[in-house]
Amino acid sequence: MSSRDTILATLRANRPDPAAHELPPVAVLGDMDAGKARFEDALQLLGGQILLPQEGDTLASAIARRFPDAKIICSAVPDFEGTIRLEDVASPQQAAATDVLVVRSPFGISEMGSIFLSEAQLNSLNSAAHLTQHIVVILSEKNLTANMHTAYVERPEFHTAHYGVLMTGPSATADIQGVLIRGAQGVRSLSVWWE
Amino acid sequence: MKVKPVNHAKAAEAFLEDAPHLTFHDERLWDMRQKRDQQMHLLPEWQELRSRASAIKEHTLANLPEYLEQFEANAKKNGIHVHWAADGAEHNRIVGEILEKHGAKSLIKSKSMVTEECDMRAYLEPRGVVVTETDLGERIQQLDGQMPSHIVVPAVHKLVPDVARIFAKNYNTDPNDDSPQSLAESQRMAARPVILTADAGMTGGNFLVAETGTFVVCTNEGNADLSATVPNLHIATLGIERIVPRMADMGVFVRLLSRSALGSPITQYTTHFRGPQKGGEMHIVLVDNGRSARLGMEEFWTSLKCIRCGACMNTCPVYRRSGGLSYGAVYSGPIGAIIDPTFNERKYSTLPFASTMNGSCTNVCPVKINIHEQLYKWRRVLAEHHELPFVKREIMHMAGKLMGQPTLYRTAINGTEVALSSLPRFVLYNWLNPWGKHRELPHPVKQTFHSWYKKNRLKGKEESKGGKA
Ligand code: SF4
Repeated sequence: MSSRDTILATLRANRPDPAAHELPPVAVLGDMDAGKARFEDALQLLGGQILLPQEGDTLASAIARRFPDAKIICSAVPDFEGTIRLEDVASPQQAAATDVLVVRSPFGISEMGSIFLSEAQLNSLNSAAHLTQHIVVILSEKNLTANMHTAYVERPEFHTAHYGVLMTGPSATADIQGVLIRGAQGVRSLSVWWE
Repeated sequence: MKVKPVNHAKAAEAFLEDAPHLTFHDERLWDMRQKRDQQMHLLPEWQELRSRASAIKEHTLANLPEYLEQFEANAKKNGIHVHWAADGAEHNRIVGEILEKHGAKSLIKSKSMVTEECDMRAYLEPRGVVVTETDLGERIQQLDGQMPSHIVVPAVHKLVPDVARIFAKNYNTDPNDDSPQSLAESQRMAARPVILTADAGMTGGNFLVAETGTFVVCTNEGNADLSATVPNLHIATLGIERIVPRMADMGVFVRLLSRSALGSPITQYTTHFRGPQKGGEMHIVLVDNGRSARLGMEEFWTSLKCIRCGACMNTCPVYRRSGGLSYGAVYSGPIGAIIDPTFNERKYSTLPFASTMNGSCTNVCPVKINIHEQLYKWRRVLAEHHELPFVKREIMHMAGKLMGQPTLYRTAINGTEVALSSLPRFVLYNWLNPWGKHRELPHPVKQTFHSWYKKNRLKGKEESKGGKA
């Protein structure tokens, strides 16, 4: 018998009585505020930032001000130029030179300040979201969902994307003597730009 | 030859002697526990979430074969190769074969307790595969030749100078570097080129979703997503118990996991893998390694609900004061003490004694595993199987008299002035005498579990004070 069949047979023989353990209905609990203020608070708690426009600012000028030293600004969205388009980045090795990646997220979660990205936003070069030094995420307030329950219940992406990441602020670690460091191995910063 | 039981108490003595390490370890974990409490208090629905999580897990375990088959069918439909491993040896062989087929010589991986269980690096390295742990804490442990000492924060027993020494030796950095920031940066700089040239990537995973054939990985450093997306080959290893039925169930678990683990609302990355990326290949190895047998243990099967958050470790006074390495096992702390004996009853026979039975572990567990009761049940099982040294058997005998009769036990430790001043000391220290030898518990027990429980259950508000161990 294959290991698969042995494992399944043992599980069948050993399991507790299924009739005694009903599946509870899907839970949709907690605060249902899907607002921008809640999102911003949650994002900032996890070390994310809001890229705030100044008078007359465009996304391009806001990025130029926020990242004055950035040489390679890669755009994954049609409405922003950057210095290179993500479609023209051929490999993770090339993506690793990116200073700032600009993407558009299909939805955010107010409870957590999380933004979602999948291969659909990353032109199938998923590593680009993690190899870039910084990421700027364009997000629309109307695409906020209240919390983790509503996100999983409502968003079709969890059933369609091959790769779907909820990013909540930049990469972080506290593995050295408990000191929290933002900017571990993935992005050093994550900023949200409201559209 | 008979395996020798881990002498946990003795191994912990060295740790207890080392004041700076001990103090930091104790305080850091207690801080994580307090941050968890703060998060809990922000959510009025916390207890409801725990009940749901527990019920979903129990249901899933009772229907595990069907859900695993459903997961397999969906994952295959999405183009994932699904493998089944009965034990660690088979797991390692499967991974080795996949790597060999691709001529992969360099493997980058994120933290996975299952690969620790299987001792995978020790299998792959002699076969010419260079395995690089990319999680900072896990990498520190790899370079130092140690097992992770905590399932969430693997190097939590180390201080900055320890890391500086290890990095100096391996990364040629300044041995006197006393900045955690610059040490973390050294890891980033050392890991990047290895990640960019690796032949294959490996991750563990926190959840399998039967409905969609997805596995979900919750991490903070970004290294898991790098390991999974930079190379074209991604292998993931998960225990068969990690499954939930529906994608919508993930809401319950994601809301509990990081809050319980680190006291942060969510991990920085919550990644859903449902199929290979463009041009890539994805494998998943479903590992049994004793789990299917554990499911048949009437008193212990619910330990399979564990989502490996580490909260029971952070709250445990014995764990905090002994360090994970002293358990001599892949899983340490209260959860380790109840699952390690299922791997090797004799070797880990002492671990269920590494507890003060204060019940704090049970109170913090997000999936409501009755950890301290299982600890007590293990003590009985082990005593019956004569795995205990004589002295402990004697102590058990007395303790058993008390604990075997709940009313008597409660009266004895809570009922009278006399009992309060003498019995808890006995219960706490004498049957764990090496602990008592050093000093009092850092966060003295203000209430016994039972008096707390009685009070709080009546209020209908579990654990507001619970586990103040
Ligand atoms: S037993 Fe409970 S508290 Fe301990 S690691 Fe598992 S889920 Fe967390």
